[in-house]
Amino acid sequence: MSVSVSPALAINVRNVSKRFGRVLALDDVNLSVPEGNVLALVGPNGAGKSTLIDILCTIGKPDSGHVEVSGIDAVRHPLKARQKLGVVFQEPTLDTRLTVRENLTFHGMVYQMCRSERRARADAVLELVELADWGNAVTRTLSSGMRRRLEIARALMHEPRILFLDEPTIGLDAQSRAKIWSYLETLRDTQGLTLIVTTHYIDEVEGSDAVYIIDHGKILACGAPDALKADYGRTLLKVSPRGEMVRATLVKRYPDAVETADGQLLIAIDQTVSADALLAELGTQLRGISVEQPSLESVFLSLTGRDLRDAPTGTSNGTRNA
Amino acid sequence: MAMKETTSAIFGQMYGVYAIWLREVTRALRDTGQLIGGVSRPLLWVVILGIGLNPYFRGEVYGEVRFVVPYTYLQFIFPAVVVLNILYTSIQSAVSLIWDREFGFLREVLVSPMARNMVLLGKILGGATTAVVHGCMVLALARFAGVALTWVDVFQALMLMFVLAFGLTSFGIVLAVHVRGFESFGVFSNAVILPLYFTASSIFPLDPALTRAQMLVAYPEWLVLIVELNPLTYAIDAMRGILIDFNQFDPVLGLQVVGIMMVSLFALALLAFRKV
Ligand SMILES: Nc1ncnc2c1ncn2[C@@H]1O[C@H](COP(=O)(O)OP(=O)(O)OP(=O)(O)O)[C@@H](O)[C@H]1O
Ligand SMILES: [Mg+2]
Repeated sequence: MSVSVSPALAINVRNVSKRFGRVLALDDVNLSVPEGNVLALVGPNGAGKSTLIDILCTIGKPDSGHVEVSGIDAVRHPLKARQKLGVVFQEPTLDTRLTVRENLTFHGMVYQMCRSERRARADAVLELVELADWGNAVTRTLSSGMRRRLEIARALMHEPRILFLDEPTIGLDAQSRAKIWSYLETLRDTQGLTLIVTTHYIDEVEGSDAVYIIDHGKILACGAPDALKADYGRTLLKVSPRGEMVRATLVKRYPDAVETADGQLLIAIDQTVSADALLAELGTQLRGISVEQPSLESVFLSLTGRDLRDAPTGTSNGTRNA
Repeated sequence: MAMKETTSAIFGQMYGVYAIWLREVTRALRDTGQLIGGVSRPLLWVVILGIGLNPYFRGEVYGEVRFVVPYTYLQFIFPAVVVLNILYTSIQSAVSLIWDREFGFLREVLVSPMARNMVLLGKILGGATTAVVHGCMVLALARFAGVALTWVDVFQALMLMFVLAFGLTSFGIVLAVHVRGFESFGVFSNAVILPLYFTASSIFPLDPALTRAQMLVAYPEWLVLIVELNPLTYAIDAMRGILIDFNQFDPVLGLQVVGIMMVSLFALALLAFRKV
């Protein structure tokens, strides 16, 4: 006879809602993450990602619903739950007047680690994020990419079982982003850490175990990246019209077309829309046309009707549209 | 088992309080601007005001009334300057709360296994310690002001300074929770600090030899009333009692007022900090 084979849940969220005045920031959210999984939370600005992370890491309180973190009721016993989780917030939270090591030491102390343990862990986490040479630098003097890495290192000091990262790569250059993801992969593979990551960069979530797409406080879809693509992905025609007249004609003909940040139009192909018809009619008036196979981006587009790429605030990565 | 767990939990929390205290003190001692203020303020008061006004202090006669404070003006304001430095530093140290809120560091602390009240306790202890250090910068000028201190005096003064600083830092926290932004806090705190200080019988005495009726001859009634209602009056009085053995009020009263201030302001700060 078999006992339950499903792995233990690192996080279990049931029917969580949260309201800020008139804004319903979270609307009956359900979410579960098996231990050792990587979950990506994707959604445009104001979707409710940070609100959800805040509730999961016990800083925010849900209006209703149940939140379990590492088997602990996070609403009733927040202090107990916190020992098991590490958080990298969307906004920086380092003390920039302290040195790199002092930031880590402080963290170790409030997480009640003893001195030798603190020292050993500080060495280890600095090593991991390649900041070992920067231990005595004042944090103010670090670049933003280095600070982000330091925040990740700090969140790992007390060996949490679950790591939350709210937009860990936003505003960073491609090199820093790649580095951060390689650290995270190392952690998952070597220590079985559970990772909850929110991001605007949809190409970053391909490697995750599950993707949750959230907008207006609602989970619109969830599943493994491939499953999502199979269910919601559409083949898209990416069209660059020659001039405003053509653009207007296209928009009129295909009212569901979505404009990208760089002025192209995305048109989904289905029964009523075929690439042949479009080419036959307007082919000569286009500067370019390309066919995009189902991607998570098209999943997002078909679920929210928005192009995720013009969602990020701050310095989004402009090269990706080129 | 449960007993052991509770003990270790309490010990862990105290350790965290120590960490927060240490950070506050480290930051304050690295803040040269604050240190310079802490040194120049007492120098200004003691040297310029104290020495400048010294000749005008004795034997003033207002009609029937004559001051009988048996001290030089320098000696008289010296304990008040100690309190002034503590007042400034305590309230300014609450700026660190605004700083932490604006620059996000507060979230790092609030998401840790530290209980919220313990976070506040660490902050207030840190601010109070810094304020006591600044108070000691004034004490170091004692000889210069003609105030002779025994070790017992110094010890008593330190205790009083700490209790006072604890209460005033709590007060600063209450202000900081309700005020948004650094600039408004600066304006606001000055608007609180200076009136509090000037109406605390800090720079002129309400003479104990006078009856209330006589006092009202020397000063307008509203001023006497404000001075008597200002809790800081009693704190400065207690400090005078310790440093120059001069009390305008019952010596026990000062200690009581400072004690009550500490407890009730801390309670208010606890209440305010829940909203952060
Ligand atoms: N403290 C707050 N007070 C009032 N409204 C809030 C507060 N925090 C969040 N909101 C609102 O809740 C909604 C969700 O915000 P949230 O920060 O969770 O979005 P997000 O998905 O993290 O967005 P972003 O990608 O910009 O970080 C928004 O409409 C926001 O305005
Ligand atoms: Mg957010």
